[in-house]
Amino acid sequence: MTEFLKRLLRTPQGAIGLVLVLLVLIVVIFGPSLAPHDPESLKPLARYKGMSAAYWLGTDQYGRDIFSRLLIGARATVTMAVLATVVGTLAGAVIGTTSAFLGGRADEVIMRTIDAVMSIPSLLFALLIVNLLGSSTANALVAVAIAFAPGMARITRSVALSVRKQDYVSAAIARGESASYIVMREMLPNVIAPIIVEMTIRVSFAVMLFATLSFLGLGAQPPAAEWGLMVSEARRYMHLSAGILVWPSIAIALVAIGFNLLGDGLRDALNPRT
Amino acid sequence: MADLQQPPVLDIRGYSLDYEAPNGTFHALKDINLSVPRGEILGLVGESGSGKTSLAWSIMRYLPKNARETAGTILLSGEDLMKKSVSEIETMRGKRISMVFQDPSTSLNPTLSLGTQLSEVLTRHRGLTRRQAWREGEAMLARVGLKTPAAMMQRMPHEASGGEKQRVVIAAAFACNPECILFDEPTTALDVITARQILDLFVELQAETGVASLYISHDLALVARTAQRVAVIRRGEIVEQGPVNAIFAQAQQAYTRELIAAVPDPRRRLVETRPDVSGDALVKVEEVSVHYGRTGFFSSLTGTRERVTGNRAVSLDIRRGEILGIVGESGSGKSTLAKAMTGLNRFEGRIWFDGRPITGLKDMDTAYRKDVQIIFQHPDASLNPRQKIREILSRPLKLYGSAAQLDQQIGDMLERVRLPRTHADRYPHQLSGGEKQRVAIARAFASRPRLVICDEITSALDVSVQASVIELLLDLQKQSDTAYLFITHDLNLIRQIAHRIAVMYRGDLIEIADAETIDSPDRAEYTRRLIQTVAPPAGATHPSS
Amino acid sequence: MSASYILKRLMMIVYTLLVVSLIVFAITQILPADAAVMMLGENATDEALEALRQSMGLNAPIWMQYGQWLGHLLQGDFGHSLRTGQAIGPVMFEALGRSMLLAVLSIGLMLVIAVPLGIIAAIRRGRIADMLVSLVSYIGVSLPEFVTATIAVLVFADLMAWLPPTGYVPLTENFADGLAHLVLPVCVISIILIAHVSRMVRSELVDVLHSDYIRAARMKGLSSGTVLRRHALRNALLPTITIVALDVGYLLGGVIVVEEIFAIPGIGRQLIVAIQARDLPSIQAGVLIMAATYSIVNFAADILYAWLDKRIQYD
Repeated sequence: MTEFLKRLLRTPQGAIGLVLVLLVLIVVIFGPSLAPHDPESLKPLARYKGMSAAYWLGTDQYGRDIFSRLLIGARATVTMAVLATVVGTLAGAVIGTTSAFLGGRADEVIMRTIDAVMSIPSLLFALLIVNLLGSSTANALVAVAIAFAPGMARITRSVALSVRKQDYVSAAIARGESASYIVMREMLPNVIAPIIVEMTIRVSFAVMLFATLSFLGLGAQPPAAEWGLMVSEARRYMHLSAGILVWPSIAIALVAIGFNLLGDGLRDALNPRT
Repeated sequence: MADLQQPPVLDIRGYSLDYEAPNGTFHALKDINLSVPRGEILGLVGESGSGKTSLAWSIMRYLPKNARETAGTILLSGEDLMKKSVSEIETMRGKRISMVFQDPSTSLNPTLSLGTQLSEVLTRHRGLTRRQAWREGEAMLARVGLKTPAAMMQRMPHEASGGEKQRVVIAAAFACNPECILFDEPTTALDVITARQILDLFVELQAETGVASLYISHDLALVARTAQRVAVIRRGEIVEQGPVNAIFAQAQQAYTRELIAAVPDPRRRLVETRPDVSGDALVKVEEVSVHYGRTGFFSSLTGTRERVTGNRAVSLDIRRGEILGIVGESGSGKSTLAKAMTGLNRFEGRIWFDGRPITGLKDMDTAYRKDVQIIFQHPDASLNPRQKIREILSRPLKLYGSAAQLDQQIGDMLERVRLPRTHADRYPHQLSGGEKQRVAIARAFASRPRLVICDEITSALDVSVQASVIELLLDLQKQSDTAYLFITHDLNLIRQIAHRIAVMYRGDLIEIADAETIDSPDRAEYTRRLIQTVAPPAGATHPSS
Repeated sequence: MSASYILKRLMMIVYTLLVVSLIVFAITQILPADAAVMMLGENATDEALEALRQSMGLNAPIWMQYGQWLGHLLQGDFGHSLRTGQAIGPVMFEALGRSMLLAVLSIGLMLVIAVPLGIIAAIRRGRIADMLVSLVSYIGVSLPEFVTATIAVLVFADLMAWLPPTGYVPLTENFADGLAHLVLPVCVISIILIAHVSRMVRSELVDVLHSDYIRAARMKGLSSGTVLRRHALRNALLPTITIVALDVGYLLGGVIVVEEIFAIPGIGRQLIVAIQARDLPSIQAGVLIMAATYSIVNFAADILYAWLDKRIQYD
């Protein structure tokens, strides 16, 4: 484990990504207790304040502390994105592995269908599903998970197929190993690494997708402190105070950059041959 | 042939090269002294990692950024190449000094026609117009023995065979009548017969033009047949150099002698056992055919089908304790049979194992698996990179034997293949290529099989490592009386170790002959061509024979 | 490239559209919206509703409704909007035209910026220029369109007042004004694409520059410029065709957001309006048109690639 960490920290991407993601995790776990103000309390006299000792990042159109709202909102934004990605990845992995395992006609039909589904832009797909289920955070989660599944299925399948062709799998077959041993012990450890990398990078897409859904009014609903929603609400007041708009935007970008960098760092660190 | 009056064309004096790596400095070349006069071919022989290719790039002035040249000079006709500017070097490359690479399928740009890639040298260095260069290019292709030069100029690389492509590369290297040419393993990627033709062409053109040639190779036998002088390089140092005959007759250095001894020589039989000819054969292969390829769902709708034949009705048998060799070029179907016998390919026909019929995967039960083991060509690929050696070696014990005292058994297995017991705790990537292949051998022998299929198991290894792996295999065979199906493209090697040899060509079994009489003139035409092609060098008599 | 390859690819498009139509139909059928109620309003009598359902075929089994809908589609009839009552086809295709203008300009801008950036980064690998490009691209892929769009409006329209904040003016009506309205949307859409494509170009070119044939070309004494131009660029840029085509999926998603923010009456905005109004026939038509656009672009890209790269032997 320590050796793995060392490998991860060796690349700048890995190091910066890890620091950013750890920071985000701290905020997600301890955010509510770290928040200096009540994120919901309205202070009509303290609206549109700039940065100050009392309000680190200023206040918004209702006089709420932006910093506190960001700390609270991390849970909604990041937790949901991670969950949706994990669910989507698992679903995709099952479909992809099954397809690779079945092979032949079944594989081709499944993959062509996946291709067909992927011709619907994932944002549009998510919009349709949220609209079908009703606008809420939980439904947005389901929507993003479903939108991610086809892409992950494609990646899992191609990784599984390339591992399947390796001689160590042939050796296991020729040795008469059971199918479950071949899949679990020979293939999975080699398939999982690239999937984790892909999943990490996709968390950043999920964060953006969630924020976009909320922005379009189809995810979290006011007065939630979801970051995308904060940007959306700030639009009307942005010429009064740019801070309301800028800080949640930076928060979204930092999380996305963090997971992107971490994914690229993991790609190098998880390669056993370097 | 060599003209000794004039100064050498290529003259390397006291040259040293370091690479700066994150974990310290690596001395790639140490105090290299070499010279090649006009009209001579100097062979530079070394194993992988010896620094022979680094030297080629030093001469071509194409070094990575972390390279440091710490001492010495490289002279081309008296001019110091190390003092030349980048643009001066660019005008010399291809014109005064050129290079032929290992693999013509990667050294030619896949998206440009062969003619473009040949004529660009002429427009660049001889100031010809495109049209002149094209015409000149056709003449060059005729000179390197291509039958239809005009058509060949138009072709894309993927439309030409490996041998044709290498001829184009050679034509480009000779195009400007350079003073010096470097040949970096020019035949390693080619099949034996093509390789022989390419080498013959090279020798012929070299004699015609008198170009000073540095021929870099891992293959001592090829160098001995081609070069006048040979230099042996090991770990960045020239161990020994001299005329080919002198080196082979009386090598001064132990390493050189070791290398010479490691070269497979069919006149020196290594196998001492005799197969058991009484009773039935261990394996009988009856009319086994293998087809590859399937028809896709959408392809079947448009009516396109593709089926490639891997094996066509192959029949042979393997006796108890016999080493049966299978030789053939790439694509001859020699590995296909191995895959069929281990359930990795579907097949038609029938295989009898010890009197039991095997018609497909379903008949291959644990008892059959235990008796028939396979070892693959690349140990890198056949050992799971995420499993420790302990787990890799524990599998056959758990599958076929008892898993009691696992550590004890694994240690014994490692010792049997002459590896330290402590290797059990390592991952494959922490082992050398030869060590990895020994682990694969240990895994195959764990179940005390009666037949081991060796699929090109030494062709990814250096000659000296190959020799020790072969020695190990023969020892194991003596102890256990296991039969081997030994698949290889190396005819000289298989003539040393097999009892009988099966020759394959494009999916067909040409014939099976006793190893001792495979060179008799009664053999099939293809077999005779193969034997002729790889005949051992006349000057290279073996010290122990 | 054989005729059977083209035929095979065309059949895949048909299959894609069939699957998409099934998905869209299924989703819109599960939607808790009753087309009859939507058309007649909440206060309509049960008898009136029933009569309308009968006439619209809403009481038929689902698969028959699907068959009918598909039958109409094949005749080019997308049905009528529940919201406006207009025929959907002409409205959608007019909107698609505006969106295509936006998309084509964005791809053009992206190529003009991303390809040189990727090339510079690859040539100067490991140097400052490379690090700058990679920093910019990390930031670029991490900014959702709604963020960049909102900030762009704030900076260039509200604060600087250089460009109009939102709206759409047809180029045929007032070319200069129309163009001015397109600048911000096009820039916003391009950012993520530039970030992504420049990274791809860089990694492709780095791979190509490390290949044996590039080394061989250098050993022929060709100058670095010739090696780059004649041997490396072509091979490195070929895969970009496929990457850009696949990015069109992402681009179409971006178009939805950007059209919404900049109030451009393109297909993305039509879709958002339709989704918010639960206008089922319009949703079905819009999604199908988007999927068809994506499939056709990818088909064209595959054909172009195969035509440019003679190596690829399709069965």
